[in-house]
Amino acid sequence: MEQTKPQVFIRTHFDLCTGCSLCKTACSMHVFGGYNPNKGMLIIRHLWENLAHIPVVCQQCQNPMCMKVCPVKAISRDETTQAVVIDQNKCISCKLCSQYCALGVIHRDPETQKAYKCDLCQGDPQCVQVCPFEALELVHEQKHNGE
Amino acid sequence: MAQSYMNKILHINLSKGSFHHFEPPAWMRDDYLGGKGWGARMLLDIVPENADPLGPENALIFLTGPLTATPAPAMRACVVTKSPLTNAFLDSYFGGYFGPEIKYAGYDALIFTGRSTAPVFLQIDHNGPILVPARDIWGQDAIKGNQSIKSKLSDENFKIATIGPAGENQVPFALICCETNRQAGRGGAGAVMGSKNLKAIALKGDKLVKIHDQNMFNLALKKANKEIFNSLDCQGLMATGTAGSVEFANETGLIPSKNFSDGTSPLAAKLGDKGQSKKLWLSRSACFGCPIACSQMGAVRTGRYASFVSDIVEYETAAMLGTNLEIGDPRAVAHLNRLCDELGIDTISAGACISFAFEAAEKGLLKSTDDLKLEFGNAGAAADLIEMIAHKKGPLGKLLSQGVKRAAQELGPGAEPLAMHVKGMEMPAWGPRGIPGMGLAYMTADRGACHQRGFPAGYEATGMEWKGKPVKALELEGKAELVFSLQNYLAGTDCLVKCDFGAMGVSPETYALLLSAATGSEIEASFFDELGERIWNTTRIFNLREGMDIKDERLPRRFVEEPLPSGPHKGHRITEDDMKYLIKDYYQIRGWDENGRPTPETLEKTGVRLDKKFKL
Repeated sequence: MEQTKPQVFIRTHFDLCTGCSLCKTACSMHVFGGYNPNKGMLIIRHLWENLAHIPVVCQQCQNPMCMKVCPVKAISRDETTQAVVIDQNKCISCKLCSQYCALGVIHRDPETQKAYKCDLCQGDPQCVQVCPFEALELVHEQKHNGE
Repeated sequence: MAQSYMNKILHINLSKGSFHHFEPPAWMRDDYLGGKGWGARMLLDIVPENADPLGPENALIFLTGPLTATPAPAMRACVVTKSPLTNAFLDSYFGGYFGPEIKYAGYDALIFTGRSTAPVFLQIDHNGPILVPARDIWGQDAIKGNQSIKSKLSDENFKIATIGPAGENQVPFALICCETNRQAGRGGAGAVMGSKNLKAIALKGDKLVKIHDQNMFNLALKKANKEIFNSLDCQGLMATGTAGSVEFANETGLIPSKNFSDGTSPLAAKLGDKGQSKKLWLSRSACFGCPIACSQMGAVRTGRYASFVSDIVEYETAAMLGTNLEIGDPRAVAHLNRLCDELGIDTISAGACISFAFEAAEKGLLKSTDDLKLEFGNAGAAADLIEMIAHKKGPLGKLLSQGVKRAAQELGPGAEPLAMHVKGMEMPAWGPRGIPGMGLAYMTADRGACHQRGFPAGYEATGMEWKGKPVKALELEGKAELVFSLQNYLAGTDCLVKCDFGAMGVSPETYALLLSAATGSEIEASFFDELGERIWNTTRIFNLREGMDIKDERLPRRFVEEPLPSGPHKGHRITEDDMKYLIKDYYQIRGWDENGRPTPETLEKTGVRLDKKFKL
């Protein structure tokens, strides 16, 4: 039985999330060098007047539509981390990737207009590290062909 | 230099509808840091003497601190204004998500002056600030108003502060509801906002908050979080929020029962964490950047009050609208809490006004009607009174909407002993008869009866050590020094702007480390005490200038004349002589003369530089 590479992604536990947004600030610091949860790559949906918080993070899809729609092949899978990554140097700001992201987790920077997304922080996601509530978890999922 | 200030203050003149932004002067950063310090100095310098708190000349100032909007654990923001309830300095703090958004929108502070001719809200996003007509939202409750603005702007991501009908009607203890359900509760900042015809502020920013030394900041963050997770107080808050204090305050005889006539209540067990967790709680929620998450979210699912989402019923609310009114069903208290939040009034002052009315009716000073039975335990009447207060409805609504001090003055001398307040601000839920240090903290707090400007109760009720010696509850000696020290440190760290709950874990050394790393200034742990002392002198000058009478630096008569009927400190009261001793000692330690006035030497020593002036 042939083994494929493990799928690596961040699993969310909404039942543990308190909405504190430390994940989003850690993300904006990693990507842009400053704190602002509005500029993080993940989002939190606050439901029912804060009775529930649903964190939404890029799942590094096995079938990444963002990658398929990119007209300039700026999106690819990183061989080392298995993350789906955007090369901002190639990005032409066409917005197609964010339009076809079902989870709405591709971020467009208002300054540069370039697309940004979760790159798993080169394999050590800061959001997972800073979450005090263990609502985010880095998962390596080994799948076998035919299963 | 990258540092955690945005280096920009926005002044909004509502009379002219104009905006003006400027850099905060360096001396303000050096002398007052941010948050409370900035607010204290700005108020002193920009609000003219004897200004009407509800007039256009009063300023309404939203302030962040150098650690607000960073991941430094448990940071908040504050609003500072001249209070319509006390006619004195007012600072009111709020967690949640609105505070940090002020910085993400690009500002350290927002200063409102003047009065708009018609209702408006302020909107700030990447296009800058604009004032938007709000006639269609005026009249809506504080929670509905938030949702309406999001719909109007077609964007759920705005962080919004609103007032409810009570703020619009200028009830002097109206609050500002800050996203989400975090109230700038005490002292009537909501009434000032209403007087300016400002319904709301909606912010969505894309500016980054930068750090001077990121490596050092990361180390400090690790240290701060470790201190929080190792703190028993913080662990308690993680488990049960402030609801955990209900049974503690009952056991120690500090909880208000029947308008503070007693200090214990058989209802405490039902209203505390055990009762609430059974009837209400479902999940936890945190303010921005907080690892404590003291908020236990819940819902009233069944019964006559069903159904609505309820935040935790905080200790103050559980006591003031619960035990204090002899209402023992946590769902009923959650309902009253929700009404106050929607209508936009402070639950502490509301509780004191209602218990005042109930007791006044018992004493024959107010009359019940067929529709409104003013009696302890009547949750329906409490709900009706909250509505009447918020809308200033009928003679009783008008009477109580002024707060207990003015209501008692109007009702006549028989009502005065029932008015539980200091300097016009209603008492919070920690009766001081067995803990005179707490009494002194109330007598001297800059905004009137407040438990958050110094909380010696934590030492007195538990015998916790202060400077290596256990604090004895009933002793008077040393209490002034304890109050002085606690007040200074809290004011100093209220410039960051810290949350009191985070401060139960994070040490002064670690706050100094976080601040040094964030701003690039070299700061020692003792800095906060020195800064706090400067602030207490600054707010003191303001309050004296505005006519504060030191004869009002005393406790309500009940605590002085009636011995506590039950609890471990049964039989105790704080006598006139006790108060005299405490206040004399306190003035001396503060370096104030016998009239409570800072001497010129004290001002110089504490660094209050009156030759400087903050200008708009």
